[in-house]
Amino acid sequence: MVNKGSQSVRQLLMSLSIALAVVGLILGTILISRGGEWITSGLRFFTEAGAGLSLTWKLDGLTVFFLFILLLGQGLSSLYALGYLKEYEEKKKSLWSFHVCWLLFLGSMFGVLLADDGFTFLLTWEMMSLFSFFLVLYEHEDPQNRKAAYIYLVMTHVATVFLTSAILFLYTKTGSFAFEVWTGVVPSLSTIQLNLIFLAFFIGLGTKAGFVPFHIWLPYAHSASPSPVSTLMSGVMVKVALYLFIRLVWLTLGPGPVWWGWLFLLIGALSALVGILSASVQSDLKKLLAFSTIENVGILGMALGSAFLARSWNNSWAIDLAFIAFFWHTLQHMLFKSLLFMGAGNIIQATHTRNLERLGGLLKRMPKTGLGALIGIIGITALPPLGGFWGEFMLFQSLWVNTSYLTNGWSKVFLPLAIGILALVGGLSMATFVKWFGISFLGQARSPVAEDAKEVHPAQYIAPLIVGGLAVLSVLWPTATLALIDLPLSVLRTGGAVGVLSTFEAPLNLSSIYLILLILLTMIVVILSKRGIRRVTATWNCGQPLTKSMQYTAGGLTNPIRVLFTKVLGSHRLVEGDFAGTRYSLRSLTYEGRIKEVFEDIFYRPAIRGLLWLSSRILKLQSGSIHLYLGYLLITVVVVLILGR
Amino acid sequence: MDGLFMILTHLLMGLGQLALILVAAPLLQGFIKKSKAFWQMRQGPPILQPYRDLRKLLKKEELISEHASWIFLLTPRIALAATLMAGLVIPNAWGWAPLSGWGTLFLFGASLGLVRLFLTLSGLEGAGAFGGMGSSRELFMGLLTEPALLLGLIVLAFITGTTSLQGITVGLQDVSPLFIPRILVLIALGMVSIAEMGRIPMDNPDTHLELTMIHEGMLLEYSGTSLALLSFAEQVKQLLLISLLAQIIWPSGLISVNVGLLGMLLALGFAGVKVAVLGFFFATVESLFVKRRLFRAPHYLATSTASAILALISLWIIRGQI
Repeated sequence: MVNKGSQSVRQLLMSLSIALAVVGLILGTILISRGGEWITSGLRFFTEAGAGLSLTWKLDGLTVFFLFILLLGQGLSSLYALGYLKEYEEKKKSLWSFHVCWLLFLGSMFGVLLADDGFTFLLTWEMMSLFSFFLVLYEHEDPQNRKAAYIYLVMTHVATVFLTSAILFLYTKTGSFAFEVWTGVVPSLSTIQLNLIFLAFFIGLGTKAGFVPFHIWLPYAHSASPSPVSTLMSGVMVKVALYLFIRLVWLTLGPGPVWWGWLFLLIGALSALVGILSASVQSDLKKLLAFSTIENVGILGMALGSAFLARSWNNSWAIDLAFIAFFWHTLQHMLFKSLLFMGAGNIIQATHTRNLERLGGLLKRMPKTGLGALIGIIGITALPPLGGFWGEFMLFQSLWVNTSYLTNGWSKVFLPLAIGILALVGGLSMATFVKWFGISFLGQARSPVAEDAKEVHPAQYIAPLIVGGLAVLSVLWPTATLALIDLPLSVLRTGGAVGVLSTFEAPLNLSSIYLILLILLTMIVVILSKRGIRRVTATWNCGQPLTKSMQYTAGGLTNPIRVLFTKVLGSHRLVEGDFAGTRYSLRSLTYEGRIKEVFEDIFYRPAIRGLLWLSSRILKLQSGSIHLYLGYLLITVVVVLILGR
Repeated sequence: MDGLFMILTHLLMGLGQLALILVAAPLLQGFIKKSKAFWQMRQGPPILQPYRDLRKLLKKEELISEHASWIFLLTPRIALAATLMAGLVIPNAWGWAPLSGWGTLFLFGASLGLVRLFLTLSGLEGAGAFGGMGSSRELFMGLLTEPALLLGLIVLAFITGTTSLQGITVGLQDVSPLFIPRILVLIALGMVSIAEMGRIPMDNPDTHLELTMIHEGMLLEYSGTSLALLSFAEQVKQLLLISLLAQIIWPSGLISVNVGLLGMLLALGFAGVKVAVLGFFFATVESLFVKRRLFRAPHYLATSTASAILALISLWIIRGQI
C-alpha cells in the first residue's frame, strides 16, 4: 500500500520543479531573443547578507548558457524522478530528505552559476557539495553507498581547501572578493603567485570535474546515488565545475603562460584515456557510465587546453573553434549522459541488478527504454549523425588549425597526437558502449530477473525519449544550437571578430545535411529490400542446443582490451584447475579476474599511509602526562611573550 | 533559379556517384578474387560472380534468430547507407566529391565507425558464441585502426593545407610522389586499409572457421536479403578504401566537364586502371602472407600508427619547422 500523502508530495514537488524549469527556459528564450548589452557586459544584483556582507550575483551570456543546461537537466531529471521515486514509496522509505536535498542541490547549482564574488561562490559551492553528498547517501542502507559518499565527501573537501586558499590569497591581495577586482590585480602578481593560484584552482575545480588523477570519487559517487541524482551529477554538476574554469581561470586570471594550456590538454587526454579504459572493463551498469563521464570531461578539458593554447598563440580562429567544440560537447554530453543514466536507472528498477552479466534481451521487454539507450550510445561514442560527433569534429578542427598556424616547434607534433588519442578514445568508447548496450539489451536473458523485466513507469521512458528528441533536434537545426553557443562566446571573444553565426553556420549545416541524407538512404534501402520471405528460427549453434551461458559475456567482449592494456589497467587473472591428483581429469576450475584501481594504488594509498605515519608521530606529543602538558603551556606562553613583545 | 539549378546538378551528380560506386563494388570484388586465383594457379570464379551471388541471396528466404530484435534487421540497411555516406566524401574518378568542404576527412572514418557500431551490436543479437566473438574482435581491431587512419589522413591534410578530402587529392597533385612524408603516409594508410577491408594478415575474408573469423563471425546469423546487403556494404567499403588510396597515390585532380565526353571517359578508365592495379596489389599481399593471431594485430597496427607519426615529424623537419 502506497502512502497517499507521500505520493502527492512527490507529484507536487517534482511537477513544481519541472514547471519552474519550463518557465525558466521560456523566460530565458524571451530575454535572449530581445538581446541587449547585458549578454556581454552582465547584469548584476545583490543580496544583503547582514554583517556588512553582501552576496553579489551576475547574469551574462556565459552564465545563461550553463543556466540553460541546468534548467534542461532540472526539468528532465525531475520528470524522470517523478517515476523513479515511486519505488521508494513502495518500499516505505521516507522521501522527505530526498526532496529537500534535491531542491536545495538544484538551488545551490543556480547559486554557483550566478555567483560573482569569491565569498558567494564558496558558500554556494559548499552547499552544492553538501546536498549532493546527502543525495549520494540517500540509499544509506548499503555499506557500499556509505563508502562512496564518504570518499566523495573527503575528496570534495580537499578540493574546497585548495579553492579556499586561492580565494583567500586573492582576498588578502586585493581586499575584495569580487571577481572583477581580482582581474585588475592579476597583472601585478608575481609569476609564481599567479601559477600557484592557477594550480590551486586547477586542483580544486578539477576534482569536482573529475580530472584524472583527482577522479577517484566520481565512479563511486555517481554510481551509488539514485539514478535521477546520477543524471544531475553527471550531466550538470561536472559542467558547473568546468564553467568555473572559464569564469575563474579564463576570464579572471586571464591569459597565462603557455604551459596552462598544455596542462589542460595533457590532463584532458589522460582523463579521456584512463576514463574510457576503466569504463571498458567495467561490468557494473552505472560505474561504466561514471567512468565514461571522466572520459568526456577529459575531452572537454582538451577543448579548454586547445583554447588556452590558441590564446597564447593569438590564434582567434582556433579559440573560436575550441570553444564551439567545448560548448557543443558540454550540451551533447549532458543530453547523452542523462539519457544513459536514465536507461541504466530503468534497467536497475526493472531487474534490481546492476551487473551486466545478469542482463540480456531487454530490448524486447523494455522497447522504449531500449530505443532511448540506442540513441544515447550513438551519441556518446561520437558517431555521426548525432551531436557527439560534431563536437569532436570541431575539436579536431581546432587542434588542426592550432597546429597549422604555428610557425615551428615540437608543438606541431604533439597537437596532432592529441587527435590520434581522441581517435583511440573514440574506438575504446565504441567497445565500451557496444558492451553496455549489447550485453544488456540484446541476445537472451542471462538470469531470471532479466527474463521477468517489465517496462517501467511512463515518465521514466518519456524523459529519455524527450532527451533523444532534443539530441536529434540539435543536429537537425544546428543554427539554433550555434545561436545558443554564441551567447557564451560573445562574452569570451574579444575585439570586433566576425560573428560566430556567419562564420560557422555553413560548415555546421553539414550536420543536418548528413543526418537527412543518411535517413533518406536508409529508407531507400529499407524500401528496396522489403520483399522476400522471413522465417524466425533458432540460432545456429553447430547443431547443439543453445543455452544462455553460451553467449558472450560482458567480461569476454572487452577481454582483448583488458589483455592489451594489462599494464595500464593493472588487470590480472588467475585460473586454477583442480585435477584431484590426476593430470587429466579436471574436477573444478576457478577463475578470478580483477582490475586494480591503479590511481588509488599509485597516488592515494601512499598519501594516506604518509598521513597516518605523520599523525602517529604527532601522537607522541600527547603522552597523557599532565606535567608534559604543563610544560607545553609554559613553552607556549614564553613563545607568545617573545613574539608579542 | 541559378541556385536551384546548381543544387539539382549537384544532387544528380551525387546520385551518379552513388550509382557508380554500387555498380563498381562487386566488380572489384570479382577482380580481386580472380587475382588471388591467379596466384594460386586456379581458374577462380568469373569476375561477374559477385553480382550473381548478390542476386541469388536477394531471392532467398531469410532466417532470423528467435532472440534477435529489430536492430538485427536494421543493421544491414544502415550499414549500406552509412557506407554510401562515406562514399559521398571520397573523390571520384573526376576528383570530385559530392560532400566536399571543411573537415570531410573526419566524416569518412566516422561513417565507417557507424557501420562498425551496428555490425558489432548485431553480432550480439543471435545470443550465440560466434557472433559475440566476432564483435569482440572487431571492436578490438576498430580501436586500433582508428588512430592510424585518422593520423594518416591528418598528415595529408597538413601536407596540402586543407581538411577536405577533395581538397587533399587536388593538392597532392603538386607534391612530388617521392616526398618522404607522403610515402610514409601511404604505408600507414595501406596497412590500415588491409585491416579495415578485413583481409590477410588481419582477417581472412574467405573463411568461416570459428577460431579465426572476425568480420564473418558477426555475419554468421545473417541470410538472404540482409546478408546480401551486408556483403554489398563490405564490397563498397573495399572499393572506397582502394579508390581513396588510388587518389592519394595518383591524384587525378579536378577534371571539369570542359574536357568533353571522351576526356571524361578517359578519366573514368584511368581511375578504373588505378583501382584495378591496387586491387591486384592487395590480392598479391593476401597471397604472400598468412593470417596473424589476434594479439599480433596491435603490433601491426602500431607500426601503421608509428608510420603516420613519423610522416608528421618528417614533414615538419623537411619544411624546417622543428
